Amino acid sequence: MAMAAVLRREGRRLTQPINALHSSLNSQDQAPHGARSISTQIVRNRMKSVKNIQKITKAMKMVAASKLRAVQSRTENSRGLWQPFTALLGDNPSVDVKKSVVVTISSDKGLCGGINSTSVKISRALQKLNSGPDKETKYVILGEKAKAQLVRDSKKDIELSLTELQKNPLNYTQVSVLADDILKNVEYDALRIVFNKFQSVVQFLPTVSTVLSPEVIEREAESGGQLGELDSYEIEGGETKSEILQNLSEFQFSCVMYNAVLENACSEQGARMSAMDSSSRNAGEMLDRLTLTYNRTRQASITTELIEIISGASALEG
Amino acid sequence: MASSGAVPFWRAAGMTYITYSNICANLVRNCLKEPYKAESLSREKVHFALAKWVDGKPEKPTLRSDTPDH
Repeated sequence: MAMAAVLRREGRRLTQPINALHSSLNSQDQAPHGARSISTQIVRNRMKSVKNIQKITKAMKMVAASKLRAVQSRTENSRGLWQPFTALLGDNPSVDVKKSVVVTISSDKGLCGGINSTSVKISRALQKLNSGPDKETKYVILGEKAKAQLVRDSKKDIELSLTELQKNPLNYTQVSVLADDILKNVEYDALRIVFNKFQSVVQFLPTVSTVLSPEVIEREAESGGQLGELDSYEIEGGETKSEILQNLSEFQFSCVMYNAVLENACSEQGARMSAMDSSSRNAGEMLDRLTLTYNRTRQASITTELIEIISGASALEG
Repeated sequence: MASSGAVPFWRAAGMTYITYSNICANLVRNCLKEPYKAESLSREKVHFALAKWVDGKPEKPTLRSDTPDH
């Protein structure tokens, strides 16, 4: 990500003058002999870098806005994929199972507000809720950012991590291959997918979708409750119920994942847009303040010089 | 809709329903006429890196890339 690198470089350039400014303010008394007034060079440099940062954040906001438009329509279309599954199999976040797998979805890139921390927080809470003496909860992580956060305190529980999802535009084939890989590599009774559901450009709801394994679906259906209606469906063809349920839950997982990945990508772009918007505004405010200081200092030094000249001239006359 | 006899075959070959349906979807995509065929095939690109974790350490990530019919 070239932009982030540029931004970092600018940031470094920005911190340097701040230190230089401090030291120059502290060492005013020890200014070299012959120096007439405080140099405005440092403030000028700083104004330049703030201006550059503002340009970059503005550009990043534009990029995020155009990416958001592309991904938003696909996200809204993909919502139709999981709704029939929820109608049929229900969404049981409170189901009590032995092996839970928390699938945390985050972004690969930063500078997008708090959406990654939110999904990590929710994942940790889910892990705490679902761990007990004979229960275990593992993590499957999508994206670099959640990996970096979860590695710190629960690296023993990480089972899989997947990155570089968004190199090509997101599509169903990719997400289904990914879902397939997750299914093959983890043992689970319930998969809990944590993502940020896109509500509007400034609003994201942290969301948990639960996908149960076929055995758990059958168990829940037999014990009645929310899945009790499942028995009233007729099954066509020669397949048994457990085969159908296995196919269904696999397909449900890949559809829910597709929607979750898209929703999270959409939230990421939205969050980046608003983050970049506020940082451009902050840079503007900072620039205004710096310009004011700069002009004031400049004027003061001009005034001082004028007074010196005039008083010198009047001394000669008098 | 798969016939009832076909189900054990792909399941016996170690495929999940997702792989099976992807192969079917790819077959359908190949049946499209030309401008749409190339478009739909180029849209479905796979690219991601997968790393397994053993004892709190990631193993070397494997890259899955551009294998739409896998």
